[in-house]
Amino acid sequence: MLQSKRGSIPAKAGIGLRFPHHQAVVDTRPEVAWLEAHTENYMGGGTSLRYLETIRRDYPLSLHGVGLSLGSAEEIDAAHLTRVQHVVERIEPGLVSEHLSWSIVGSVYLADLLPLPMTEEALAIVCRHVDQTQATLKRRLLIENPSTYLRFRHSTIPEWEFLSRVAERTGCGILCDVNNIYVSACNHGWDPATYLAGLPPAAIGEIHLAGHAERQLNNGNTLRIDDHGSCVAPAVWALYAEALARFGPVPTLVEWDTNVPPLEVLLGEAARADVMLEETDREYAAADAA
Amino acid sequence: MNTQPPTLLELQHAMYRSIVASDDAEAAAYIVADGIDPAARLGIYRNTFASVLTNALRLSYPAVHRLVGAECFEGVVRLFIDEAPPRTANLDDYGADFPDFLMRCEPVSALAYVPDVARLEWMVNRTLHAPDAQPLALARLAALTEDEQARVRFMPHSSAGLLRIDHPADSIWRAVLAHDDAALAAIDPAIGPVWVLVHRTEGVEVTRLSEPAWRFTEALFAGRPLHSALEDAACDDAQQLLAQHLAAGRLVDFELADHASS
Repeated sequence: MLQSKRGSIPAKAGIGLRFPHHQAVVDTRPEVAWLEAHTENYMGGGTSLRYLETIRRDYPLSLHGVGLSLGSAEEIDAAHLTRVQHVVERIEPGLVSEHLSWSIVGSVYLADLLPLPMTEEALAIVCRHVDQTQATLKRRLLIENPSTYLRFRHSTIPEWEFLSRVAERTGCGILCDVNNIYVSACNHGWDPATYLAGLPPAAIGEIHLAGHAERQLNNGNTLRIDDHGSCVAPAVWALYAEALARFGPVPTLVEWDTNVPPLEVLLGEAARADVMLEETDREYAAADAA
Repeated sequence: MNTQPPTLLELQHAMYRSIVASDDAEAAAYIVADGIDPAARLGIYRNTFASVLTNALRLSYPAVHRLVGAECFEGVVRLFIDEAPPRTANLDDYGADFPDFLMRCEPVSALAYVPDVARLEWMVNRTLHAPDAQPLALARLAALTEDEQARVRFMPHSSAGLLRIDHPADSIWRAVLAHDDAALAAIDPAIGPVWVLVHRTEGVEVTRLSEPAWRFTEALFAGRPLHSALEDAACDDAQQLLAQHLAAGRLVDFELADHASS
């Protein structure tokens, strides 16, 4: 199998580790190549951390954060960065990721991954905070593209270009969330193929897949909402195939956060991604041999 | 309308006013309408903010949630979020002021035991998430002289906490989480105060102590020199309690008081 050159996480499918599955994962040791945990869920001690440390012994783990607010105009919350650092030092994950978004202003945490204006000012701020985070953690960070439900009038840079420039300036990698590309593309009338084509393949360190919902608004319009509450949509699988064709085999994670189903359902989604990864693997091996 | 693009900070403050204070006026002006009203787009973020925090508080206060009912809980939480939005991205730390808020909150203040159950639940939450620490090695205590042992000031494990509650909130909490309506009906809410120790074993345990045992434990946890805590102890089993706290890892370190301390 082609091993990822991107840390200790293999270029295979993994699943998001959620509290309801802690015991099942420990008891049944499911056949899955790796797991990803939310950094913020393991900032204390006790039972949760013990589960994670137990699982860490048998599976490659990545840590995915939601609270650093890399896009805040204000400084990064130093206390939160220290908490992230402690979890990273304790777990020694294969990959560490965060989001291209913001959630803190006036020291208040707005508990969401909020959209940034795509401006030179925001780009400079995000790069400064990514630099600071990478220096503190002493490792490369992956930055994930968000799902968004609005755009700002004064944005001047396409999101894919913004993300590529963050990667180029800071040396960080990109966590390409294929579901988020699809959701944002539907919501804003973008072409998802243009988005994928705008990302630098060498920077892609991980792919995310998840389900989303469609919400009908009062005026008859529809917005797609990234709720991680269902199976991956057929159109997102199709876009994933395009992403693999472009990026090659990349560690791929299936996330599910709302109405979390039995573990087997997640494993089924991961198995489907694995089939596609193996196919890509073979195609890349054949191309190398030719 | 101001046509100058906002700075990032100005934009983020406008988003804050939209999400926390439902004031969309400024933020909406910065948003591409594109077939959907900017207010509807902002509403999605406002709803997420409220639902994530409501869920976080429901996880920290499950018994309060059941006691007052989902609808009342959500209403009260909305008021609480307005007054005290989170100041940390670690939501395990959010909601410390919720019990005090409940005491001032009209819909639930008539149920006097609810804020007490909330205080207990917050301590349970703290205990659940407290950082790990190694128990105090008994050999370190054994190596001290008798004079030094008398001057020991203990440091408790951050997962161990003490609570004096006016109502039997521990019994109510247990019955509510067990869905045991018969046990709940049998509780006399006027009984009290009760003195409890919240600590971590495999899970979280809430143990009722006698008042003297609680006061002795409080003196130990507060770092009173051991001889002084023992002298003031109004219980016969103080030494035995100390041994239990040590064996259970509730004490993690110590320092020596100088001779003048008491």
